[in-house]
Amino acid sequence: MSLVTIQHLTKIYSNHVSVRAIDDVSLALERGAFAALAGPSGSGKTTLLNLVGGLDRPDRGTIVIGDAEITAMPAGALADFRLAHVGFIFQAFNLFPVLTVLENLEFVPALQGRPAADRRRRARELLAAVDLAEVGDKRPNELSGGQQQRVAVVRAILTEPEVVLADEPTANLDTANGARLLDLMERLNRERGVTFLFSTHDPQVMARARRLIRLRDGRVEGDEQRTPAGEPARP
Amino acid sequence: MLFLTMAWRNVWRNRRRSALTVSVIALSLTFNILMRGIGDGFHEQMVDNSVRANIGHLQVHRKGYHDDPGLNRTLPDPARVARAIRALPALRGYSLRVLGDGLASTDENSAGIAIVGIDPAQERTVTTISHAVTEGTYLGDDAPRPVLIGERLAATLKARLGDKIVLLVQAADGSMGAQLFHVSGIFRSGAPDLDRGVAYIRRQDAQDLFALGDRVTEAVVLLDASAAVPAAQAALRAALPVEGAGACEVLSWNQVEPFLEQFIVLDDAFFYIIVAILFIVISIGILNTILMSVFERVREFGVMMALGTRPRQVVRLVVLEAAVLAAVGIAVGGTLGSLLTIYFAENGIDLSSFAAGAASIGITTTMVYSRLTVANVVLSNLAVFLLVVLVALYPAVHAARLRPVDAIRHV
Repeated sequence: MSLVTIQHLTKIYSNHVSVRAIDDVSLALERGAFAALAGPSGSGKTTLLNLVGGLDRPDRGTIVIGDAEITAMPAGALADFRLAHVGFIFQAFNLFPVLTVLENLEFVPALQGRPAADRRRRARELLAAVDLAEVGDKRPNELSGGQQQRVAVVRAILTEPEVVLADEPTANLDTANGARLLDLMERLNRERGVTFLFSTHDPQVMARARRLIRLRDGRVEGDEQRTPAGEPARP
Repeated sequence: MLFLTMAWRNVWRNRRRSALTVSVIALSLTFNILMRGIGDGFHEQMVDNSVRANIGHLQVHRKGYHDDPGLNRTLPDPARVARAIRALPALRGYSLRVLGDGLASTDENSAGIAIVGIDPAQERTVTTISHAVTEGTYLGDDAPRPVLIGERLAATLKARLGDKIVLLVQAADGSMGAQLFHVSGIFRSGAPDLDRGVAYIRRQDAQDLFALGDRVTEAVVLLDASAAVPAAQAALRAALPVEGAGACEVLSWNQVEPFLEQFIVLDDAFFYIIVAILFIVISIGILNTILMSVFERVREFGVMMALGTRPRQVVRLVVLEAAVLAAVGIAVGGTLGSLLTIYFAENGIDLSSFAAGAASIGITTTMVYSRLTVANVVLSNLAVFLLVVLVALYPAVHAARLRPVDAIRHV
């Protein structure tokens, strides 16, 4: 069953010249997917991710997540939808520098109105699960890039959203830390059923994605299901 | 709670900038409280000086006397008036007076003056004229027909202690009254009108001079505080006839001398204009600080919104940050302003170099004492807090209107 259904999605950026960043894209993402949007710079990966996350509005087409058509939602409702159903992981980690790690993790559940004790307990549990139990009271600038991105992953999945959108999550990490992060996300996907959609041009991510959607000039150039080892799935 | 934590820490991300902003808020609040306190003290002293120098808190006359004073409008039934006055709970003292105009002459010179007939002991409970005597005595009992005159009048008449002064008046019956008086004392009140144009004589002497029998022209009342005036005025109006024959008028100090209240209103207006200009200037400074703080964190706002923060929550965060700045500024400025106001309430501000100018507007002392009121502190704090919060609304709305997709890309 599809979790995300995209139909005839078009996004045009009009400045001095008009550019079709996404051009009539239709695809569906199943629940529990571990999928990557790949392609060269300017192919539309991040734009598509932003549209799926409701951060940007398409010029044409629809996006349905679960039962909700997000393209028709007003800004406030869209914010509420993101809060309840979408997790984000950013290339630049984007943790709040004035909050400790635990407070960063509590941010989204606090917005959701979850009790303080409850959200703190959950944050500690997940931090321990990603081997970061000892950094809870530290500020993000006291952590390495790899640690920050693992915290960002925990922030994205803490409230168990239906889909986690990760924009170039390994771009600012070295190979070893990138691999550790992918291990973590794979584990979360496998053990907790978290649906991941990445944008990437990191071969490491592409190799481990179970579905690889290739974009070029805003269009879907290829869409292949793969085995966990990264090989194309046998028919 | 998490938003409050964020707001507090965001404020102190740039300590120097926030400290400067807090200083501006604190100093403007200090200025506001102190200047308001000095103004309140100054106005209270002006009123007190006028009240204690001559006019009292309340005056009772025959109806119409204030607008058209004359010896044909003497106070109806002074004994009843005195009884009504003595029944006032906030009464400190009262004096029944005879007022009239006349000409004071010596061998050297003459001057038109106001003649005030008083019972010295009674008058002492109302005005401070007995304390203003610089030479001689205050209408001493042993002197035959004593007169107490101001320094300037003495200079005009070239009169000294013991000198003879003839007071020439038109009496109540239309005849010309003239009596010889002896200068028993000279006073300096500091109020130019009193010092140059008033002669105090005993009430009985005045009644003889003006051929009034036992009649008086006014009753002057001193209360414990100005705040008691409305109730006392109402009580006297209820106790005395205010319509028909024998009606009385009961006037408060600001009705007797409306210019005093008008001056206070005008002075307050100037103060508020200065405060408004000050607030506009500090608003620009605070706006600049908060705008810079918002522009530096565009990406963070984008991330917040991407994670599900609603625009109104972004507004709340920015306004909360401004409120934190305001609260710290108010804590510092409110304390400093209150302490300075208390200090000057106890030690006063020496205005002796402006004494001449101050005397012309009713300030007869050279020290001005500030006054700290709860209303001053509360309203000043509230005004500064609201100002800062209002100023923060523009950058807050700007932040809330950011498109997450653009804001996250912001460098």
